[in-house]
Amino acid sequence: MSSHREAPEISKDPVADNADVYAFVSPENNGTVTIISNFVPLQGPAGGPNFYEFGDDVLYSIYIDNDGDAQPDIEFQFQFTSSLQNPKTFLYNTGPIGSLTDPNWNARQVYSVVRIDKGPQPPQIGPPVFPPGFPFSGPGPAFPPGATHTTVIGTNLPSPPCNIGPHSTPNYETALASQAVQSLANGVKVFAGQRSDPFYVDLGAIFDLADLRPLQTNPPFAIPPALPAANGVDATKALNIHSIAIQVPITSVTRDGKTPSSITSSNAVIGVWSAASRRKVRVIDSQQPDVDTGPWVQVSRLGNPLFNEVIVPLGQKDDWNKGFPAGDSEYLPNVQSPELASLISKVLYPSAFPKLAAYAKPRADMVAILLTGIPLGVIPTSFVSTGFVNLTGPTFADMLRLNLAVQPSNSPSVFGLLGMDPSGFPNGRRLFDDIVAIELRAIAGAVLPFVDKTFTADAAASALTQWTTEPVSASLSQPRYLNRFPYVGTPYDGFDTPSS
Amino acid sequence: MKTFSRRSFLKRTGVAAGAAAVTASPALAAAVEPAAVETPPSGPIPHEPIVAVVRDAGLGEVTVLAGTTEKTYKDRTLVKRLLKVAATNRGANAGEVG
Repeated sequence: MSSHREAPEISKDPVADNADVYAFVSPENNGTVTIISNFVPLQGPAGGPNFYEFGDDVLYSIYIDNDGDAQPDIEFQFQFTSSLQNPKTFLYNTGPIGSLTDPNWNARQVYSVVRIDKGPQPPQIGPPVFPPGFPFSGPGPAFPPGATHTTVIGTNLPSPPCNIGPHSTPNYETALASQAVQSLANGVKVFAGQRSDPFYVDLGAIFDLADLRPLQTNPPFAIPPALPAANGVDATKALNIHSIAIQVPITSVTRDGKTPSSITSSNAVIGVWSAASRRKVRVIDSQQPDVDTGPWVQVSRLGNPLFNEVIVPLGQKDDWNKGFPAGDSEYLPNVQSPELASLISKVLYPSAFPKLAAYAKPRADMVAILLTGIPLGVIPTSFVSTGFVNLTGPTFADMLRLNLAVQPSNSPSVFGLLGMDPSGFPNGRRLFDDIVAIELRAIAGAVLPFVDKTFTADAAASALTQWTTEPVSASLSQPRYLNRFPYVGTPYDGFDTPSS
Repeated sequence: MKTFSRRSFLKRTGVAAGAAAVTASPALAAAVEPAAVETPPSGPIPHEPIVAVVRDAGLGEVTVLAGTTEKTYKDRTLVKRLLKVAATNRGANAGEVG
């Protein structure tokens, strides 16, 4: 999966498991950018009585680099506090939850949002004022030493309850989830709570040595034992996740505080990633609740989807989660020679990918997509009429790179840039982008001819798909995405989705 | 962010009453400071406990975590006392029947 349980250590710590991050120019509010980071993956909707929540002991961070050095210039920090209204009941709710203040709602969670900027505190703003007991302890681990200034964006913001069922959480989206969308000062919107997982993938096929179901009777892919051709199975279509979503004015994240005038403006491209951190030491005592101490240590991160999952070897995945994008040159060899490219072209489907198998040079296309961004001119105007660039600079760093001057498409392609739609992955990432197909095709060489004119892609590269019918709409029982903030769809409730 | 010093660590953990003497002369301090005395806990573990990790006993390196800070010190006296107490712990455990 994109990054659900992608590394040995974090697979045992779902509350801190950063499963996906998305960044896109808001489709109905083009002057803003929306960033969504997902945690606590693979939630069965009926998973009570202790329904899912964020970790009070986890620091959730969204980082933005706006000057191309792969170091954070801006961080949005989210910290959560849980409470029980009635510790003497075993129930999550003692009756229907009709509002965010309903006394029937027992297990609640509120959160704070803090923005940290590189550079000294502007004198006209003055030092930040924290409420008593505010859990602020400085910039997140990815911030390099140096002056920073801090703004408290919101405190005591309610996270909605999980979607339990029609008796417990009737009218969920209107009465609960949408009420938890917070409009804050300076044009900022935030939401933090349970949602349906927007990521879709045929897990069973992918992890069975990439035997993509639609291709099983296609000769180059038909390897023994024979399997029937079929549409893919969307393994996450009825699973929930916890989303942290923030929408901010574009002018608040660019390096000069201005809206980029064109895709080639020096302020147009930002790098985005998110992370989760825990305190270094936990003391577990039989006589009292656990206590934590020490500095925050990053335990999970995510930039480009599938980077740690597919590019980083198993023995290094935990280290990658603890590292920062600015140090990702360590993984350059894995990007230049992706193991998956060798696997599909030399082991699994050699007759489908002879040209890929014969390609011996370092994969400059994958380096551009995943580690530096794509320079102007690589994607010809014959392919994307506006041209394309999301290069951040020479630093090798796994970040989502979003060119803020690319406007959302009125007819988007789930294949993003590969589908001639520059407003999708790898230009940032939208909720509905078919990441698995895009990255499979890219790894199979579909983008390589743009970078290396001597290479012609195997025809099979553009045939790689999980689906005969895209699963985004028709096969789902409810809309997977919303057309408004926070865009992530209503979580499935446990009564109507008792088994998933 | 909480501030922390080696003196406050010693005071908080009850390792030594004569911390001033420790800084003046580690060898002398080790000789005159009373030995650690095992005692039942007087209360719960603090909300953010101060934790010392003997990083390298041979070099006398001890890492102290307090609040969101972490610093490593070279303090042979402190390391020696911690090791001595740890050895007492281990000795007690060795006598237990599982």
